[in-house]
Amino acid sequence: MIDIKKYEKLSALSLNPEEEEKISKDLEDIIGYFGTLKEVDTENVEPYVYTRGAKLFLRKDVKGKSLGKEALTKNRELFKGSFYRVKKIMGE
Amino acid sequence: MNSYKPTIGLEIHVQLATKTKIFCNCSTEFGAEPNTNVCPICMGMPGTLPVLNEKVVEYGTKLGLALNMTINKTSTFYRKNYFYPDLPKGYQITQYTIPIASNGFLEVNTTNGKKKIHILRGHIEEDSGKSIHTGDITESQYSYIDFNRSGIPLMEIVTYPDIETAEQAYEFLVLLRKTVRYLGVSNGDMEKGALRCDVNISVSKGKELGTKVEIKNLNSFRSVRRALEFEIKRQVETLEKGGTIIQETRHLDERTGETKPMRVKEELNDYRYFPEPDLPPLVLTDKYIEKIRNTIPELPGNKEERFIKEFGINREYAHELASSEKIADYFENTVQVTGKPKETANYIMVIIMSYLNEKGKKIDQITFKAEHFKELFELIDNGTISKNIAKKVLDDSLRNGKSPKTIVREEGLVQITDTDAIESVINEIIEENPKPVSQFLNGKTQVIGFLVGQIMKKTKGRANPKIVSKKLIEKLNSMK
Amino acid sequence: MDLLNSSIKELTAHLKSGKVSVKEATEAALTRIEKTEPKIKAFIRLHKDEAIKRAEELDKKKEKRGALFGIPIAIKDNMNLKDTETTAGSKILQGYISPYNATVVEKLKNEGAVIIGKTNMDEFAMGSSTENSAFFNTHNPVNTEYVPGGSSGGSAAAVKSNEVIAALGSDTGGSIREPAAFCGVVGLKPTYGRVSRYGLIAFASSLDQIGPFAKNVEDSAIMLNVITGFDNHDETSVQKNKQDFTHLLGKEIKRKKIGIIKEVSNFDIQEEVEDSLQASIDVLKDMGAEVVEISLPHLKYALPTYYIVAPAEASANLSRFDGVRYGLVEEGKNLKETYEKTRTTGFGTEVKRRILIGTFTLSAGYYDAYYLKASRIRRLIEQDFEKAFEKIDALILPTTARTAFKLGEISNPLEMYMNDIFTIPVSLAGLPAISIPYGNDRKGLPIGMQIVGKWFKEDELLQIASALENGGKNEQL
Repeated sequence: MIDIKKYEKLSALSLNPEEEEKISKDLEDIIGYFGTLKEVDTENVEPYVYTRGAKLFLRKDVKGKSLGKEALTKNRELFKGSFYRVKKIMGE
Repeated sequence: MNSYKPTIGLEIHVQLATKTKIFCNCSTEFGAEPNTNVCPICMGMPGTLPVLNEKVVEYGTKLGLALNMTINKTSTFYRKNYFYPDLPKGYQITQYTIPIASNGFLEVNTTNGKKKIHILRGHIEEDSGKSIHTGDITESQYSYIDFNRSGIPLMEIVTYPDIETAEQAYEFLVLLRKTVRYLGVSNGDMEKGALRCDVNISVSKGKELGTKVEIKNLNSFRSVRRALEFEIKRQVETLEKGGTIIQETRHLDERTGETKPMRVKEELNDYRYFPEPDLPPLVLTDKYIEKIRNTIPELPGNKEERFIKEFGINREYAHELASSEKIADYFENTVQVTGKPKETANYIMVIIMSYLNEKGKKIDQITFKAEHFKELFELIDNGTISKNIAKKVLDDSLRNGKSPKTIVREEGLVQITDTDAIESVINEIIEENPKPVSQFLNGKTQVIGFLVGQIMKKTKGRANPKIVSKKLIEKLNSMK
Repeated sequence: MDLLNSSIKELTAHLKSGKVSVKEATEAALTRIEKTEPKIKAFIRLHKDEAIKRAEELDKKKEKRGALFGIPIAIKDNMNLKDTETTAGSKILQGYISPYNATVVEKLKNEGAVIIGKTNMDEFAMGSSTENSAFFNTHNPVNTEYVPGGSSGGSAAAVKSNEVIAALGSDTGGSIREPAAFCGVVGLKPTYGRVSRYGLIAFASSLDQIGPFAKNVEDSAIMLNVITGFDNHDETSVQKNKQDFTHLLGKEIKRKKIGIIKEVSNFDIQEEVEDSLQASIDVLKDMGAEVVEISLPHLKYALPTYYIVAPAEASANLSRFDGVRYGLVEEGKNLKETYEKTRTTGFGTEVKRRILIGTFTLSAGYYDAYYLKASRIRRLIEQDFEKAFEKIDALILPTTARTAFKLGEISNPLEMYMNDIFTIPVSLAGLPAISIPYGNDRKGLPIGMQIVGKWFKEDELLQIASALENGGKNEQL
């Protein structure tokens, strides 16, 4: 059994009991399905992360335009002039 | 108590002094109106991607080399996952398995001699935004977020835990700050958050390390020192009393100088680092690394040693003069013109530094240059003014911008070398001070200093002190 | 004259001759949409007024007509279009007004395209049927009881129903090719790095790639010409010389080596799909191509590998949806609760499922066994392809093992994932691939044939696809 509550917490999710039960079961199945990978010998195999031909290029340190307040306020109200506001972090 | 040995490690975030952020071209300017130096990238808008700033790579390489580290020719970026409202993407892009720089050291001077502090790694990463908690952190209902700082480039320097005293930690930070300023890779201002330091500390008797305590949010070098001093004492005392140290994060109460456990609940900590798929590895060539190496100036530690060796000045002065590249340059330029390192050092340290401190000025803001020093020394050497008067002339020149010659002329500070004039003052002083005179005549020769002082006072310091003492002694001896 | 039944090339000719204005073409599309949308529901949002305004502007323009001048185009709703709502099919992004244009949007606009609207999709591109859209289902234009495939189901359906001439989708594990196959249109997934991802709302960053839906191979090539190219906003976009992807179209494919995969027969494939594969192989042979059997020993591990890698990346990519700066917010009594309420309400079940899988496979204690292991197997899969491509120019296999299924027919997630068994391996290796319609099953549902090219050899891939497309037509006549 995977400790679904732990992963909910890490993902900032809080499933209702029915959804939790359903997804828990799905996860068991899916993770069980991953088990078939165990049979593959991957010793000395370089993990594939970066794709072919990918080459990091560097940007010049030159200032560009910033977003205007309008673009921000179309998406969220700003407070105390121009701050985003969130409920305090802790608290009951 | 002495048998407990502290083990201290530092994690320092150095803000790199680029014009734009690490992954976007927003300004890094400090103090802008909240949420104005932001764009879709540093705001974590959906669909945006990071593009690395070349100056971050340059400064990171430079700092790595200056801290005697190995620059990794291939380094990689990772995502560090956690939720926090000032972290717009819900992950921080940082370096993890292979940072840009590994394994270096800095050697610091302490009251107990030199100490080499080893550095584990230096990695480049993005800063988060800033959360402002108005009112008491537990009372206010809201926090306010400013994303201007989000995406500002940082280099995190992690030391090995080979620091043993609060003083060593302090000196390390001082030297690190000097170094970043010398290199021009950071302004090193702790108040502006350009330098931030977390410490790890444990104490133990034997070889086995004690339980580690982390102290966070230290806002000055002094705080680091105080926090460590307190924490060492607290841990040792706790253990002496048979108590145990809890692994926790503490903060320094600036008012009392005590460290206290952070009140924030320790959240489940699993950052789920994994390679950042949006950024291929950073690959640096030997040629590039060498190019950067060649731009590194002589660093404060080396400069200090050279000043001692080359100019014969004492360590205290050498340390101070080497502490800033501009002061060091000023000193060396002046010495080149005057050929008098010790005297030059002395005048800079005694007169110029106190003037700068008083006015809050920088050395490049004063009008007194090498040629003025030359003029001043000539006035001393040809007997026009005494060394004592020279101090006054230098101080006046700093304040009014006039040349030493002009000041001497305008204020009539020319040294009195006319023996007749001096003799007449000597006579006056002998007349006015019968008691010390008779003491001298009775063999108490140390009063001579007092009498010379009186003569100098009367001549407003202008009398040539050599002539004064010679003539005074002649006169007094003739009275025996 | 049915304007919407034209290809890009045909409509361009009409526009050029002056027989039709851009406004007329745009209005024709909007009229068509009005008629078909109630049944198909391909669009999340129509930009009617903007499209008409744009058309009028274009009609005034006499010079510098771009490659897509006046062509009505739809784009998937996971691409940012400035000053409009972009939702990626999710409730959590409702109300998000994009402050910028995706690079592909800029490119479409620069070439004169008229963007008609944003198409429906599985939420955050996670799905194979578009049933995971937070808003509504899209219906397969061939038979509206069936799904259009996914995740770019809206784009595929819009092209199939002649609502637009072409569309953009995104493909992470098959999200262009599978709906193209289900709807009977051409869907192209370019080589990873070929098209900028800047402005594409990320699902799995190392796999996502934008590509076109079109009515034929030539139009796909024209679309690719427009959207391709290095972008200094995307570190994973690749610098390549500019080329015209139509340049090999119509050239004969004699002596081309086409690979068929030995291991494909291990999978349970619908009979008509098998027949189609055989027929297409025969046609290719007839045209002088040499068919070679190759082996991809790690093929069967592709699906579990993908379902570790993609959710892992997605779990991080979707962390930014926290309700602080944009989109949905559901206030709780403190921040933690606000996060949880926002995300739990804002994300659909499949998205939550994948976030949790990804969080699990990256978590302490499981990273090596799952994420790292999968990354290594991904390398083995890539190497399998690399080896195969030493002997062949392209591969052919069905896009999907079965044709479209009915809405609501598949509810088990693993069963749903199986739809992508033939597209996922190609995605893991970052290869370019195209799905072209090749016959129908007994129910009249389209069958898609997938051709996989070498890395950055889209020109050759399109050449072979075009040959099969034309050869197939002759065959079927």
